[in-house]
Amino acid sequence: MDLTYNEKRLLLALKDKRVNANPAELAQILQTTQGAVVQFAHLLESRGLVEQKEIREKNYVLTDEGLICEEKGLPERRIIEALHGKVPIAELSKDPLAKIAIGWIKKKDWAIFQDGAIERKEVITVGDDESYLTLLKNGSVPYSPVIKDLIKRGLVREEESIQYSITILPAGEKEIESGIDLTEETGTLTRDMIISGSWRSCTLRHYDINKLPKQIFPGKIHPYQRLINEMREALLEMGFTEIAGEIVQSAFWNFDALFQPQDHPAREMQDTFYLDETAPLPQGYEKVQNVHENGGNSGSTGWGGVWSKEKAQQCVLRTHTTSLSIQHLQAHPIPPVKAFCISRVYRREAIDPTHTPEFEQLEGIVMDKGLNFRNLLGFLKEFYKRMGFQDMRFRPAYFPYTEPSVEPEVYVEGLGWVELGGAGIFRREVTLPFGIEAPVLAWGLGVSRVAMLKLGLSDLRMLYKSDIDWIRKSPSNKGGN
Amino acid sequence: MPVITLALEYLDRLSGIERSVLFSRLPMIGSSIEKIEKNEAQVEFFPDRPDLFSAEGVARAMRGFLNLEAGLPLYKTSDSGITCSVDPLLHDIRPVFRAAVIRDLDFSDDAILSMMGLQEALHWAVGRGRSKVAIGLHDLDKVTPPFRYFASDKDWRFIPLDYSEMLTLDGILKEHPKGKAYAKVIEKFSKYPLIIDSNDEVLSFPPIINGELTRVTSDTKNAFLDVTGTDLRAVNVALNIICTALAETGAKIETVSIEGTSSPNLSPVLRKISIKEANELTGLSLTLDETATLLKRMRYGVEPCGEDKLDVYIPCFRADIMHDWDVFEDIAIAFGYENFTADIPDTFTIGLPHPVHARENLVRDIMSGLTYIQVMPFTLTSEEIMYTKTGRSVPSDLLRVKHPISIDQSVVRTDILPLLLETLVANRHRELPHRLFASGDVVHDTRTTQNLGAVSCHNQADFSEAYATIDALCRELALTYTVCESNDPLFMEGRRADILINKKKAGVFGEIHPRVLTAFELEHPVSAFELDLMVLPGFRVT
Repeated sequence: MDLTYNEKRLLLALKDKRVNANPAELAQILQTTQGAVVQFAHLLESRGLVEQKEIREKNYVLTDEGLICEEKGLPERRIIEALHGKVPIAELSKDPLAKIAIGWIKKKDWAIFQDGAIERKEVITVGDDESYLTLLKNGSVPYSPVIKDLIKRGLVREEESIQYSITILPAGEKEIESGIDLTEETGTLTRDMIISGSWRSCTLRHYDINKLPKQIFPGKIHPYQRLINEMREALLEMGFTEIAGEIVQSAFWNFDALFQPQDHPAREMQDTFYLDETAPLPQGYEKVQNVHENGGNSGSTGWGGVWSKEKAQQCVLRTHTTSLSIQHLQAHPIPPVKAFCISRVYRREAIDPTHTPEFEQLEGIVMDKGLNFRNLLGFLKEFYKRMGFQDMRFRPAYFPYTEPSVEPEVYVEGLGWVELGGAGIFRREVTLPFGIEAPVLAWGLGVSRVAMLKLGLSDLRMLYKSDIDWIRKSPSNKGGN
Repeated sequence: MPVITLALEYLDRLSGIERSVLFSRLPMIGSSIEKIEKNEAQVEFFPDRPDLFSAEGVARAMRGFLNLEAGLPLYKTSDSGITCSVDPLLHDIRPVFRAAVIRDLDFSDDAILSMMGLQEALHWAVGRGRSKVAIGLHDLDKVTPPFRYFASDKDWRFIPLDYSEMLTLDGILKEHPKGKAYAKVIEKFSKYPLIIDSNDEVLSFPPIINGELTRVTSDTKNAFLDVTGTDLRAVNVALNIICTALAETGAKIETVSIEGTSSPNLSPVLRKISIKEANELTGLSLTLDETATLLKRMRYGVEPCGEDKLDVYIPCFRADIMHDWDVFEDIAIAFGYENFTADIPDTFTIGLPHPVHARENLVRDIMSGLTYIQVMPFTLTSEEIMYTKTGRSVPSDLLRVKHPISIDQSVVRTDILPLLLETLVANRHRELPHRLFASGDVVHDTRTTQNLGAVSCHNQADFSEAYATIDALCRELALTYTVCESNDPLFMEGRRADILINKKKAGVFGEIHPRVLTAFELEHPVSAFELDLMVLPGFRVT
C-alpha cells in the first residue's frame, strides 16, 4: 500500500500502543501537533488501517472572575475576614463587594445580624465552593452540584472538548508486519535534490494514476481549417497550382467572362452583393461582348440582345471562385494548366443553420490538349476518393459556363446519396475569347457542406461563430479508435 | 430552379411508360426528384431545359430517352387565317409579339394545371419575371379576330381575370395582385401594351393580366395564345414550347399572320456536327450510326452527311442548343453518364502553393504553438462592431455592400480584432483563459489583403502578454520590428503600441480599453494584437 511518510510514522508509533492511543502522547512521540496526528490517523482510517474514535468531554474551567475569587477569596470571605466587632450595615454597604457578600453571608450563616449591625461568628469553616475553586484551578474536576452553583455565580464555565483515541485495525497490524520503509518521502523533485544526490535517499511520492489532473487545452488549428488544409494538400499532391485573389470582382470577371447572360437570375441584386464601386474592363473585353451578343468566333449563337458595358463594370463580392479560375487561365493560356482555389465566396443569403452569406468554395481546373469528359470524371473520382468518399455516381447537370455538365453524388453512410458540388468542361464561349484553345475541365464544391458531413455538424454557423469548447474538444485526428 | 408538379396519371397516359421505370431513369436525363406522392410528383429541372417544364414535355423526352419513340417529333401547322397588327408605338415598350391558334383542345383538369404550371415556370426561367417574356392563353371563341396589339392609354377599362368589375390599366397596377406584383416591368412607360379584338374587347394586358372574358376552362375547345416580350428568341422559345406541349395532347396548331409574318414556326433548326469533335469532347469512340441513334433518343432529327458529319435537326422547343457542344452533351446523356469509364489523363504538372496561403499556414502553426486556438469569423460585419464599439473612426476606404440582408453583414471587415472580441463575447460562459486568433482576408477599398489578429482573455491578461506574444511571433517570422506609442482607441493609453516594419505601421498591440470591454459586455481583461501579414518577408505575391 502507498502510504505517505507521516502515515508510516504514525503506524509505527501505534505498534507499542495498539488500543485507544491518545493523540497527545503520539504527538510527543512523533514530535508534531495533536492536530497533525489526528489528520494522519484520518488518512490511515480512510485506508482501513486504523479506527479513530471521537470522544466528546465536558470540562469546567474558572472564568476570569473565578480566577480572581480563587486568588483573593469569594466576596463574602473577603468581607467577613475584614469584620471586627459590630459594624453597622450602612457603613459596611460602602464596600462595593458588600452587595454580593451580604446575601451569601446570610445564606452561609457566617454572621449575626442585629439592630442594623453585623457581627461575625467566631468559627467560620472553609466551604465546598471555595475548595472547588482551588481544585478547578489545578485540573479537571468531575461534575458536582457545587460546580452547578459556581456556574450560576459566573465563576466557572462549561467547555466541550473532542478527544480522539486511535486503535490499530487488523489490516494495520498486517501492514506493520509486512515491514515499513521509513525513508523520507517528497512531493517535488528539486534541483538541490538532483545536485546533492539526496533523491537517492528519499522517496518521491507516487501519484494516483486513476485520478485525472485538471484538463488542459492545446492551441490548435480550427477543425474546419484542418479539413481545408487536407483538401489543399490533396490537390497540391496531385500537381495543382494554388490560386488566391481579390474578394471584390467586377461583374465582368464574376459573370460575363463565364458567359452568364446579363439578365441571368443569379446576377440579380437579391442573390449577389453589389457594391457602389466599378472596375475598368480588361483589354479585349470586346471578344466577350461579341460572344454574348452573337457568339463571336466561338461557333455559338450567343445570347442575343445587347451586352451592357456598364453592367459588366459593376463590382460585386465574388459569388464563386470561378472568377479567379478564369483570370488564372487568361494569364496562363498555354497548356497544361492545373490549378485550384479554396476561398470564401459571397451570396446574398440570410443566415440560418444551412445558409451563410459567406462560405468556402473549392474549385479545380485542368487545361490540356485532348482532355475530355471521361478525364473530368477521372479527376472527380480521384479527388473525392482522397476526401474519403469511396462511392460516387454522376448525373447530368446544368451550369451556364460548362458543357457537358455533371453533378457528382457521393454515398454517405446514414444519409444515402448526397449531391456534392458541380463540374463540367468550360464552354467554348468562355475559353475562346481569352485565346484558350485546349479544353478546360472544372469542378467545384461547397467546402462548408463537406465540413458538415465530415465534422458531423448540423449547423453551418458553428464553423464561423464557433463555440470554443467545440474546438477544444474536437480531436485533431479525425480517426480515433 | 423550377420545381414542376407532374400529375402521375396524366403522365402515365401521355408517356405510356411504367411509373417506376420512368422515375428511376428521369434523373439521368437531368433532373432532381424532390418527392413522389400518391397522385403527383415534384421534380426539379434545370433552367436550360424549359421544354421539360410540363408533363407533356417530360413524356416526350422520356419516350425518346427510353427508346419508345425516337427521332424528331413533327408538328404540322395550318393557317388559321387570323391576322394581328402590332402598333409601332410599342417599339420602345414591349416590341415583340407572337401568337398561335390551338384547336380541338381536350382540356382536362390535369391538362389545365399542367399548362398553368408550364406558363409560370416559363415566366420565371425564360421570361425573367415576365420582363423578357409574358404568356397569355385565351378562349378563342369568346372574341372576334382580327386582333390588335397596341400601346394603350392608361385609362382603358376592362374586367381583369378574377375580377367582376372594370378597372383602368392604372387601377390594375395599383389594385390587382398581379398588377402590384409586375407593375415594375412597365410602370415607367407613358402607354401600356394591350391586346384587343375587333370589338375592342380586351384579351390581355401584357405582361400583367388577361381579361376575364377569355378565361380558359375545361370547356375551352379553341384557344388563342399570345406571347409578348422584349427578346424575339426568348418569345419564340416560349411560344414553341407551349404550342408543342399542347400538340402532344392531340390539339391542332394553326398559324396567325402578324404584320405579314407567320407565327408560330415549329420547324427544326439544322446544325452540322462532326463525330470526331463529339468523340474528342466526350472521350467516347462512337461511330456515326451509334451517334445518330443516341441523338434520336434525345429527340433530334438526324441525317448522315459525309463520313464524319451528321445533319442534326434541333427540335423547335429546344432553347439551349447554342453550340455544337450542347449537342455533344446530349450524346453523353443519351449514352448514359453511368456508362462512362472514368480516366485520369497523364497531364504532368507540379503542385505549387500560393504564397498567401503558405504564409497564413506558417502563421497558424506559430500561433497554435503559442497555445492560441484558431477561429474563423465572418468577413462581413457591421459598422457597430468594427467602429462604434471599438471607438475607432470609420475609415474612408470601408467597403459597404449595396443591399445588405441584415445590418450585421453590411460592411467588409478592415480589421480582425473586433470580430475576435465578438467571438469572446459568444464564449463568455466557457472556462478561461481564452486565447484565440484568426488569420484571413481584410479589404481596404477594393483590395484584399491578409491580417492576423489574436486576443487573450483572462484575469492576468496585460500589455506584457501581448508584447511578449507578438515579439515571439515576429522572431519566428524573422521579422525585424520597432515599436512606437500608439493612439488606437481600442487599447488603453500607456498600454498600447504600434508595430513598425521598415518604419511603416504594420500592426498594433496592447491591453483592450475597459470602455471597449464594457461596450462588448466583456468582464475580464483582454490583451490583443493585430498584424498586417503583407509585411512578411519571403512571401511576395508575384
